[in-house]
Amino acid sequence: MRRGGYILLTLIAIAVLAAVQSLAQASQAPSESATPQANAKTAAAVKNWTPARTPDGQPDLQGVWDTASLTPLERPKELGMKAFYTPEEAAAFEKSRKQENNRDRRDGGAQTDVARAYNEGWFDRGSKLGRNLRTSRVIDPPDGRFPPFTPEAQKHYDAVHAYLEANPANGPEDRPLFERCLVFSQTGPPLIPGNYNNLYQIVQTPGSVTIFSEMGHQARTVPLDEHAKLPQNVTQWMGDSYGHWDGNTLVIETTNVRYNDMSHFGTQYDTGMSDRNMKVVERFTRTAPDLLIYRATVTDPTVYTKPWTIEIPMDKTESAIFEYACHEGNYGIVGILAGERAREKKLAEHR
Amino acid sequence: MNKKFAMIFAGAALLVVAAPVWAHHSFAAEFDADRPVKLRGNITKMEWINPHAWIHIDVKDASGATASWMVECGSPNTLLRRGLTKASVASGQEIVVDGYQAKDGTNRANGRDVTLPDGRKLFLGTSDGEVGK
Repeated sequence: MRRGGYILLTLIAIAVLAAVQSLAQASQAPSESATPQANAKTAAAVKNWTPARTPDGQPDLQGVWDTASLTPLERPKELGMKAFYTPEEAAAFEKSRKQENNRDRRDGGAQTDVARAYNEGWFDRGSKLGRNLRTSRVIDPPDGRFPPFTPEAQKHYDAVHAYLEANPANGPEDRPLFERCLVFSQTGPPLIPGNYNNLYQIVQTPGSVTIFSEMGHQARTVPLDEHAKLPQNVTQWMGDSYGHWDGNTLVIETTNVRYNDMSHFGTQYDTGMSDRNMKVVERFTRTAPDLLIYRATVTDPTVYTKPWTIEIPMDKTESAIFEYACHEGNYGIVGILAGERAREKKLAEHR
Repeated sequence: MNKKFAMIFAGAALLVVAAPVWAHHSFAAEFDADRPVKLRGNITKMEWINPHAWIHIDVKDASGATASWMVECGSPNTLLRRGLTKASVASGQEIVVDGYQAKDGTNRANGRDVTLPDGRKLFLGTSDGEVGK
Protein backbone atom coordinates (compact mmCIF):
# COMPACT_ATOMS: atom_id res chain seq x y z
CA MET A 1 0.00 0.00 0.00
CA ARG A 2 2.73 2.44 1.01
CA ARG A 3 4.83 1.42 -1.96
CA GLY A 4 1.78 1.83 -4.22
CA GLY A 5 1.30 5.34 -2.86
CA TYR A 6 4.91 6.25 -3.58
CA ILE A 7 4.68 4.89 -7.10
CA LEU A 8 1.49 6.85 -7.78
CA LEU A 9 3.01 10.07 -6.42
CA THR A 10 6.17 9.45 -8.40
CA LEU A 11 4.13 9.01 -11.60
CA ILE A 12 2.28 12.26 -10.91
CA ALA A 13 5.60 13.98 -10.26
CA ILE A 14 7.07 12.63 -13.49
CA ALA A 15 4.04 13.89 -15.43
CA VAL A 16 4.41 17.36 -13.89
CA LEU A 17 8.14 17.37 -14.54
CA ALA A 18 7.67 16.33 -18.17
CA ALA A 19 5.27 19.25 -18.59
CA VAL A 20 7.78 21.76 -17.26
CA GLN A 21 10.79 20.24 -19.00
CA SER A 22 10.69 22.56 -22.00
CA LEU A 23 10.31 25.59 -19.75
CA ALA A 24 13.16 24.41 -17.55
CA GLN A 25 15.49 24.01 -20.50
CA ALA A 26 14.92 27.65 -21.42
CA SER A 27 16.22 28.70 -18.00
CA GLN A 28 19.30 26.45 -17.90
CA ALA A 29 22.77 27.84 -17.83
CA PRO A 30 24.59 26.40 -20.87
CA SER A 31 27.52 25.13 -18.79
CA GLU A 32 29.65 25.91 -15.77
CA SER A 33 31.57 28.41 -17.91
CA ALA A 34 28.65 30.75 -17.22
CA THR A 35 30.30 31.39 -13.87
CA PRO A 36 28.02 33.21 -11.45
CA GLN A 37 28.94 36.03 -9.17
CA ALA A 38 29.32 33.66 -6.23
CA ASN A 39 32.04 31.71 -7.98
CA ALA A 40 33.88 34.85 -9.01
CA LYS A 41 33.91 35.92 -5.37
CA THR A 42 35.29 32.54 -4.32
CA ALA A 43 37.99 32.76 -6.99
CA ALA A 44 38.98 36.23 -5.79
CA ALA A 45 39.11 35.00 -2.20
CA VAL A 46 41.40 32.12 -3.18
CA LYS A 47 43.69 34.53 -4.99
CA ASN A 48 43.97 37.06 -2.19
CA TRP A 49 44.14 34.88 0.89
CA THR A 50 46.40 32.07 2.09
CA PRO A 51 45.89 30.09 5.28
CA ALA A 52 48.18 30.42 8.30
CA ARG A 53 50.59 27.57 9.02
CA THR A 54 50.67 25.10 11.88
CA PRO A 55 53.94 25.03 13.89
CA ASP A 56 55.18 22.14 11.70
CA GLY A 57 54.42 24.08 8.50
CA GLN A 58 51.10 22.61 7.27
CA PRO A 59 48.39 24.98 6.00
CA ASP A 60 46.11 25.36 9.04
CA LEU A 61 42.67 23.78 8.51
CA GLN A 62 41.95 23.31 12.19
CA GLY A 63 38.67 24.14 13.86
CA VAL A 64 35.02 23.11 13.80
CA TRP A 65 33.27 23.23 10.43
CA ASP A 66 29.57 23.05 9.66
CA THR A 67 28.35 21.45 6.42
CA ALA A 68 24.58 21.85 6.98
CA SER A 69 22.82 23.40 4.00
CA LEU A 70 19.65 23.04 1.97
CA THR A 71 21.60 22.04 -1.14
CA PRO A 72 20.31 18.67 -2.37
CA LEU A 73 22.77 15.84 -3.02
CA GLU A 74 21.51 15.32 -6.56
CA ARG A 75 20.17 18.06 -8.80
CA PRO A 76 16.44 18.00 -9.55
CA LYS A 77 16.23 16.49 -13.05
CA GLU A 78 14.22 19.37 -14.43
CA LEU A 79 17.18 21.74 -13.86
CA GLY A 80 19.24 19.84 -16.44
CA MET A 81 22.72 21.37 -16.72
CA LYS A 82 21.94 24.43 -14.59
CA ALA A 83 24.69 24.22 -11.95
CA PHE A 84 24.05 27.46 -10.01
CA TYR A 85 21.08 29.46 -8.82
CA THR A 86 20.96 33.22 -9.12
CA PRO A 87 20.53 34.90 -5.70
CA GLU A 88 16.84 35.46 -6.52
CA GLU A 89 16.30 31.82 -7.49
CA ALA A 90 18.25 30.73 -4.41
CA ALA A 91 15.92 32.66 -2.09
CA ALA A 92 12.86 31.11 -3.78
CA PHE A 93 14.38 27.62 -3.58
CA GLU A 94 15.28 28.03 0.10
CA LYS A 95 11.75 29.06 0.96
CA SER A 96 10.27 26.16 -0.98
CA ARG A 97 12.68 23.54 0.41
CA LYS A 98 12.18 24.61 4.02
CA GLN A 99 8.45 24.16 3.51
CA GLU A 100 8.96 20.70 1.96
CA ASN A 101 11.34 19.60 4.71
CA ASN A 102 9.27 20.90 7.60
CA ARG A 103 8.57 17.97 9.90
CA ASP A 104 5.86 19.87 11.74
CA ARG A 105 3.65 19.27 8.71
CA ARG A 106 0.99 16.64 9.26
CA ASP A 107 -0.27 16.24 5.70
CA GLY A 108 0.37 13.30 3.38
CA GLY A 109 -1.34 10.43 5.23
CA ALA A 110 -0.35 8.20 8.15
CA GLN A 111 2.63 6.51 6.46
CA THR A 112 4.27 9.83 5.62
CA ASP A 113 3.34 11.18 9.04
CA VAL A 114 5.02 8.39 10.99
CA ALA A 115 8.08 8.54 8.71
CA ARG A 116 8.48 12.24 9.51
CA ALA A 117 9.25 10.95 13.02
CA TYR A 118 9.23 14.01 15.33
CA ASN A 119 9.04 17.78 15.51
CA GLU A 120 11.14 20.08 13.33
CA GLY A 121 12.98 21.44 16.38
CA TRP A 122 15.19 18.33 16.45
CA PHE A 123 16.53 18.88 12.93
CA ASP A 124 19.44 20.98 11.70
CA ARG A 125 19.77 21.02 7.94
CA GLY A 126 20.69 24.69 7.83
CA SER A 127 18.39 27.36 6.47
CA LYS A 128 20.25 28.29 3.29
CA LEU A 129 21.84 26.76 0.23
CA GLY A 130 25.58 26.18 0.45
CA ARG A 131 27.22 29.54 -0.13
CA ASN A 132 28.41 28.51 -3.59
CA LEU A 133 24.68 28.61 -4.59
CA ARG A 134 25.06 25.32 -6.40
CA THR A 135 21.89 23.47 -7.38
CA SER A 136 23.34 20.14 -6.18
CA ARG A 137 26.22 18.72 -4.18
CA VAL A 138 27.07 16.39 -7.06
CA ILE A 139 29.00 18.63 -9.47
CA ASP A 140 30.20 15.96 -11.89
CA PRO A 141 28.70 14.43 -14.05
CA PRO A 142 27.62 17.89 -15.25
CA ASP A 143 23.92 17.07 -14.83
CA GLY A 144 24.52 16.97 -11.06
CA ARG A 145 23.34 13.38 -10.70
CA PHE A 146 25.02 10.07 -9.89
CA PRO A 147 26.08 8.26 -13.07
CA PRO A 148 24.16 5.05 -13.89
CA PHE A 149 25.14 1.77 -12.27
CA THR A 150 26.88 -0.80 -14.44
CA PRO A 151 24.43 -3.54 -15.56
CA GLU A 152 25.94 -6.01 -13.07
CA ALA A 153 25.69 -3.53 -10.21
CA GLN A 154 22.08 -2.69 -11.12
CA LYS A 155 21.20 -6.39 -11.10
CA HIS A 156 22.80 -6.83 -7.70
CA TYR A 157 21.17 -3.72 -6.28
CA ASP A 158 17.73 -4.86 -7.47
CA ALA A 159 18.25 -8.35 -6.02
CA VAL A 160 19.30 -6.99 -2.60
CA HIS A 161 16.35 -4.60 -2.51
CA ALA A 162 13.90 -7.35 -3.54
CA TYR A 163 15.24 -9.52 -0.71
CA LEU A 164 14.95 -6.69 1.81
CA GLU A 165 11.42 -5.87 0.68
CA ALA A 166 10.43 -9.41 1.68
CA ASN A 167 12.81 -9.66 4.67
CA PRO A 168 13.11 -6.18 6.15
CA ALA A 169 14.51 -7.21 9.54
CA ASN A 170 15.34 -10.89 9.96
CA GLY A 171 18.32 -9.68 11.96
CA PRO A 172 20.31 -6.49 12.54
CA GLU A 173 22.45 -7.32 9.49
CA ASP A 174 19.45 -6.56 7.26
CA ARG A 175 19.25 -2.99 8.52
CA PRO A 176 21.22 -0.02 7.13
CA LEU A 177 24.66 0.67 8.56
CA PHE A 178 23.55 3.96 10.16
CA GLU A 179 20.70 2.25 12.05
CA ARG A 180 23.33 -0.08 13.49
CA CYS A 181 25.44 2.91 14.58
CA LEU A 182 28.33 1.75 12.40
CA VAL A 183 28.89 4.48 9.82
CA PHE A 184 26.83 7.39 8.54
CA SER A 185 26.76 9.38 5.32
CA GLN A 186 28.43 12.16 7.31
CA THR A 187 31.38 9.99 8.38
CA GLY A 188 32.30 9.13 4.82
CA PRO A 189 34.44 9.09 2.92
CA PRO A 190 33.07 10.95 1.05
CA LEU A 191 31.57 13.30 3.66
CA ILE A 192 27.87 13.80 2.85
CA PRO A 193 25.75 16.00 5.16
CA GLY A 194 22.43 14.74 6.52
CA ASN A 195 19.52 15.98 8.62
CA TYR A 196 21.49 16.99 11.74
CA ASN A 197 24.88 16.77 13.49
CA ASN A 198 26.72 17.89 10.34
CA LEU A 199 29.75 19.27 12.19
CA TYR A 200 33.36 18.22 11.77
CA GLN A 201 36.46 19.03 13.77
CA ILE A 202 39.82 18.99 12.03
CA VAL A 203 42.91 18.50 14.18
CA GLN A 204 46.45 18.52 12.73
CA THR A 205 49.53 17.00 14.32
CA PRO A 206 52.96 16.55 12.76
CA GLY A 207 52.55 13.73 10.24
CA SER A 208 48.78 13.33 10.43
CA VAL A 209 45.39 14.98 10.14
CA THR A 210 42.29 13.84 12.05
CA ILE A 211 38.80 14.48 10.70
CA PHE A 212 36.24 14.00 13.44
CA SER A 213 32.57 13.69 12.51
CA GLU A 214 29.99 14.57 15.17
CA MET A 215 27.50 12.20 13.54
CA GLY A 216 28.59 8.75 14.57
CA HIS A 217 31.35 10.18 16.81
CA GLN A 218 33.89 8.88 14.32
CA ALA A 219 37.49 10.04 14.06
CA ARG A 220 39.43 9.31 10.86
CA THR A 221 43.13 9.83 11.51
CA VAL A 222 44.92 10.19 8.21
CA PRO A 223 48.69 9.69 8.09
CA LEU A 224 50.55 11.99 5.72
CA ASP A 225 52.60 9.02 4.58
CA GLU A 226 51.75 6.63 1.77
CA HIS A 227 53.93 3.90 3.26
CA ALA A 228 51.42 3.49 6.08
CA LYS A 229 48.88 1.84 3.72
CA LEU A 230 47.08 -1.38 4.71
CA PRO A 231 47.47 -4.54 2.63
CA GLN A 232 44.76 -4.99 -0.01
CA ASN A 233 42.88 -7.76 1.83
CA VAL A 234 42.27 -5.69 4.98
CA THR A 235 39.11 -3.56 4.74
CA GLN A 236 37.51 -1.11 7.18
CA TRP A 237 34.17 0.74 7.34
CA MET A 238 35.86 4.08 6.59
CA GLY A 239 38.55 2.50 4.45
CA ASP A 240 42.27 3.17 4.63
CA SER A 241 43.24 6.80 4.07
CA TYR A 242 46.52 8.56 3.56
CA GLY A 243 47.09 12.19 2.71
CA HIS A 244 49.48 14.67 1.18
CA TRP A 245 49.57 18.39 0.47
CA ASP A 246 49.07 19.77 -3.03
CA GLY A 247 50.04 23.40 -2.38
CA ASN A 248 47.50 24.61 0.18
CA THR A 249 45.11 21.76 -0.53
CA LEU A 250 44.99 18.66 1.65
CA VAL A 251 44.48 15.63 -0.61
CA ILE A 252 43.30 12.38 0.99
CA GLU A 253 43.10 9.13 -0.92
CA THR A 254 41.04 6.26 0.46
CA THR A 255 40.82 2.62 -0.59
CA ASN A 256 40.19 -0.70 1.28
CA VAL A 257 36.59 0.24 2.09
CA ARG A 258 34.59 -2.55 3.62
CA TYR A 259 31.65 -3.77 1.59
CA ASN A 260 28.53 -5.09 3.28
CA ASP A 261 26.00 -6.66 1.02
CA MET A 262 23.12 -6.94 3.43
CA SER A 263 22.79 -3.43 4.82
CA HIS A 264 20.67 -2.08 1.98
CA PHE A 265 23.52 -0.42 0.14
CA GLY A 266 26.83 -1.79 1.34
CA THR A 267 27.78 1.83 1.37
CA GLN A 268 28.28 4.98 3.36
CA TYR A 269 26.11 7.20 1.21
CA ASP A 270 22.34 7.13 1.03
CA THR A 271 20.57 5.58 -1.95
CA GLY A 272 23.82 4.55 -3.63
CA MET A 273 26.05 1.56 -3.56
CA SER A 274 29.76 0.88 -3.35
CA ASP A 275 32.07 -2.09 -3.33
CA ARG A 276 35.59 -2.97 -2.35
CA ASN A 277 37.03 -1.41 -5.53
CA MET A 278 35.91 2.07 -4.49
CA LYS A 279 38.55 4.78 -4.38
CA VAL A 280 37.81 8.23 -2.95
CA VAL A 281 40.03 11.27 -3.50
CA GLU A 282 39.12 14.17 -1.19
CA ARG A 283 40.44 17.71 -1.47
CA PHE A 284 40.18 20.20 1.42
CA THR A 285 41.05 23.80 0.51
CA ARG A 286 40.72 26.66 2.99
CA THR A 287 39.81 29.60 0.77
CA ALA A 288 38.96 32.12 3.52
CA PRO A 289 39.27 32.29 7.32
CA ASP A 290 35.71 31.01 7.63
CA LEU A 291 35.43 28.73 4.59
CA LEU A 292 36.79 25.34 3.57
CA ILE A 293 35.88 23.93 0.18
CA TYR A 294 35.56 20.16 0.24
CA ARG A 295 35.60 18.14 -2.96
CA ALA A 296 35.55 14.39 -3.29
CA THR A 297 35.77 12.22 -6.39
CA VAL A 298 34.53 8.64 -6.17
CA THR A 299 35.79 6.06 -8.65
CA ASP A 300 34.06 2.72 -8.34
CA PRO A 301 34.31 0.99 -11.74
CA THR A 302 32.41 -2.18 -10.83
CA VAL A 303 29.45 -0.10 -9.59
CA TYR A 304 29.39 3.20 -11.53
CA THR A 305 29.79 3.68 -15.26
CA LYS A 306 31.97 6.74 -14.58
CA PRO A 307 33.46 8.63 -11.61
CA TRP A 308 31.44 11.27 -9.76
CA THR A 309 32.41 14.33 -7.73
CA ILE A 310 30.72 16.25 -4.92
CA GLU A 311 31.50 19.71 -3.56
CA ILE A 312 30.53 20.81 -0.03
CA PRO A 313 31.29 24.27 1.38
CA MET A 314 32.30 23.90 5.06
CA ASP A 315 31.54 26.97 7.20
CA LYS A 316 33.64 27.76 10.26
CA THR A 317 31.57 27.68 13.42
CA GLU A 318 32.19 28.51 17.07
CA SER A 319 29.79 25.75 18.11
CA ALA A 320 31.23 22.88 20.11
CA ILE A 321 31.13 19.30 18.88
CA PHE A 322 28.92 17.18 21.12
CA GLU A 323 29.19 13.49 21.89
CA TYR A 324 27.11 11.09 19.81
CA ALA A 325 27.31 7.82 21.71
CA CYS A 326 25.04 5.95 19.32
CA HIS A 327 25.27 2.40 20.65
CA GLU A 328 24.59 3.65 24.16
CA GLY A 329 20.94 4.36 23.57
CA ASN A 330 20.04 2.65 20.31
CA TYR A 331 16.67 1.30 21.49
CA GLY A 332 15.42 1.91 17.95
CA ILE A 333 17.09 -1.14 16.44
CA VAL A 334 15.55 -3.31 19.19
CA GLY A 335 12.15 -1.80 18.44
CA ILE A 336 12.49 -2.45 14.71
CA LEU A 337 13.45 -6.10 15.21
CA ALA A 338 10.72 -6.63 17.84
CA GLY A 339 8.17 -5.04 15.52
CA GLU A 340 9.10 -7.41 12.72
CA ARG A 341 8.87 -10.44 15.05
CA ALA A 342 5.38 -9.26 16.10
CA ARG A 343 4.37 -8.96 12.45
CA GLU A 344 5.63 -12.49 11.71
CA LYS A 345 3.68 -13.87 14.68
CA LYS A 346 0.52 -12.16 13.47
CA LEU A 347 1.01 -13.54 9.97
CA ALA A 348 1.56 -17.08 11.35
CA GLU A 349 -1.64 -16.85 13.42
CA HIS A 350 -3.65 -15.94 10.33
CA ARG A 351 -2.37 -18.86 8.30
CA MET B 1 9.87 34.13 -8.24
CA ASN B 2 9.00 33.72 -11.87
CA LYS B 3 6.39 31.33 -13.12
CA LYS B 4 8.83 28.80 -14.54
CA PHE B 5 10.50 28.34 -11.18
CA ALA B 6 7.20 28.16 -9.35
CA MET B 7 6.30 25.19 -11.53
CA ILE B 8 9.67 23.54 -11.08
CA PHE B 9 9.36 23.81 -7.30
CA ALA B 10 5.88 22.33 -7.43
CA GLY B 11 7.37 19.33 -9.26
CA ALA B 12 10.26 19.08 -6.81
CA ALA B 13 7.83 19.14 -3.87
CA LEU B 14 5.97 16.14 -5.30
CA LEU B 15 9.21 14.22 -5.66
CA VAL B 16 10.12 14.93 -2.04
CA VAL B 17 6.75 13.59 -0.88
CA ALA B 18 7.32 10.45 -2.96
CA ALA B 19 10.71 9.72 -1.40
CA PRO B 20 11.03 7.88 1.93
CA VAL B 21 11.94 10.21 4.80
CA TRP B 22 14.75 9.10 7.10
CA ALA B 23 15.77 10.01 10.62
CA HIS B 24 18.75 8.18 12.20
CA HIS B 25 16.68 5.08 11.69
CA SER B 26 13.42 4.37 9.95
CA PHE B 27 10.54 5.38 12.20
CA ALA B 28 8.19 3.74 9.71
CA ALA B 29 9.94 0.44 10.49
CA GLU B 30 9.63 0.89 14.25
CA PHE B 31 6.20 2.47 14.69
CA ASP B 32 2.83 1.44 13.29
CA ALA B 33 1.02 3.90 11.03
CA ASP B 34 -2.19 1.98 11.81
CA ARG B 35 -1.88 2.64 15.53
CA PRO B 36 -2.03 6.39 16.11
CA VAL B 37 -2.00 7.32 19.82
CA LYS B 38 -2.64 10.51 21.74
CA LEU B 39 -1.15 10.39 25.23
CA ARG B 40 -1.53 12.95 28.00
CA GLY B 41 0.74 12.35 30.93
CA ASN B 42 3.41 13.59 33.33
CA ILE B 43 7.12 13.29 32.67
CA THR B 44 8.84 10.81 35.00
CA LYS B 45 12.25 10.70 33.28
CA MET B 46 14.09 12.27 30.37
CA GLU B 47 16.75 10.10 28.72
CA TRP B 48 18.99 12.70 27.07
CA ILE B 49 20.80 10.15 24.91
CA ASN B 50 21.89 9.46 21.34
CA PRO B 51 20.95 8.44 18.78
CA HIS B 52 17.53 9.56 20.07
CA ALA B 53 16.22 11.11 23.27
CA TRP B 54 13.41 9.29 25.09
CA ILE B 55 10.82 10.90 27.34
CA HIS B 56 9.15 8.66 29.91
CA ILE B 57 5.62 9.59 30.94
CA ASP B 58 2.91 8.19 33.19
CA VAL B 59 -0.47 8.19 31.52
CA LYS B 60 -3.70 7.78 33.52
CA ASP B 61 -6.71 6.21 31.84
CA ALA B 62 -10.39 6.94 32.60
CA SER B 63 -10.47 4.35 35.40
CA GLY B 64 -7.51 5.99 37.12
CA ALA B 65 -5.01 3.23 36.25
CA THR B 66 -1.52 4.44 35.34
CA ALA B 67 0.48 3.13 32.41
CA SER B 68 4.11 4.08 31.73
CA TRP B 69 5.04 5.02 28.17
CA MET B 70 8.34 5.79 26.44
CA VAL B 71 8.34 8.44 23.72
CA GLU B 72 11.11 8.62 21.11
CA CYS B 73 12.38 12.01 19.92
CA GLY B 74 15.46 13.21 17.98
CA SER B 75 19.18 13.63 18.69
CA PRO B 76 19.75 15.83 21.76
CA ASN B 77 22.80 17.42 20.09
CA THR B 78 20.60 19.72 18.01
CA LEU B 79 18.71 20.91 21.08
CA LEU B 80 21.94 21.42 23.05
CA ARG B 81 23.11 23.65 20.21
CA ARG B 82 19.87 25.58 20.52
CA GLY B 83 20.51 26.07 24.25
CA LEU B 84 18.16 23.43 25.63
CA THR B 85 19.40 20.83 28.09
CA LYS B 86 17.99 17.88 29.97
CA ALA B 87 17.09 20.35 32.74
CA SER B 88 14.90 22.35 30.35
CA VAL B 89 12.25 19.66 30.71
CA ALA B 90 10.95 19.41 34.25
CA SER B 91 10.06 16.16 35.92
CA GLY B 92 6.33 16.09 36.57
CA GLN B 93 5.60 18.42 33.64
CA GLU B 94 2.38 17.46 31.91
CA ILE B 95 2.72 16.96 28.16
CA VAL B 96 0.60 15.76 25.26
CA VAL B 97 2.12 13.30 22.82
CA ASP B 98 0.58 12.73 19.42
CA GLY B 99 2.32 9.83 17.70
CA TYR B 100 2.20 6.19 16.70
CA GLN B 101 2.57 3.09 18.88
CA ALA B 102 5.43 0.60 18.42
CA LYS B 103 4.78 -2.25 16.00
CA ASP B 104 5.36 -4.84 18.74
CA GLY B 105 2.44 -3.40 20.72
CA THR B 106 4.47 -2.29 23.75
CA ASN B 107 3.99 1.11 25.39
CA ARG B 108 6.41 2.96 23.16
CA ALA B 109 5.51 5.71 20.71
CA ASN B 110 7.23 8.28 18.58
CA GLY B 111 6.82 11.90 19.62
CA ARG B 112 5.37 13.00 16.31
CA ASP B 113 4.09 16.12 18.03
CA VAL B 114 5.04 16.80 21.63
CA THR B 115 3.18 19.77 23.10
CA LEU B 116 2.37 21.39 26.40
CA PRO B 117 -1.29 21.15 27.49
CA ASP B 118 -1.92 24.65 26.05
CA GLY B 119 -0.82 23.46 22.60
CA ARG B 120 2.65 25.07 22.48
CA LYS B 121 5.33 22.78 21.02
CA LEU B 122 7.84 21.56 23.59
CA PHE B 123 10.75 21.31 21.13
CA LEU B 124 10.71 24.35 18.91
CA GLY B 125 13.03 25.13 16.06
CA THR B 126 14.02 28.72 15.35
CA SER B 127 12.01 30.49 12.69
CA ASP B 128 14.94 30.51 10.25
CA GLY B 129 16.10 26.98 11.01
CA GLU B 130 19.58 28.14 12.11
CA VAL B 131 21.29 26.33 14.97
CA GLY B 132 24.17 27.82 16.95
CA LYS B 133 25.71 29.79 14.10
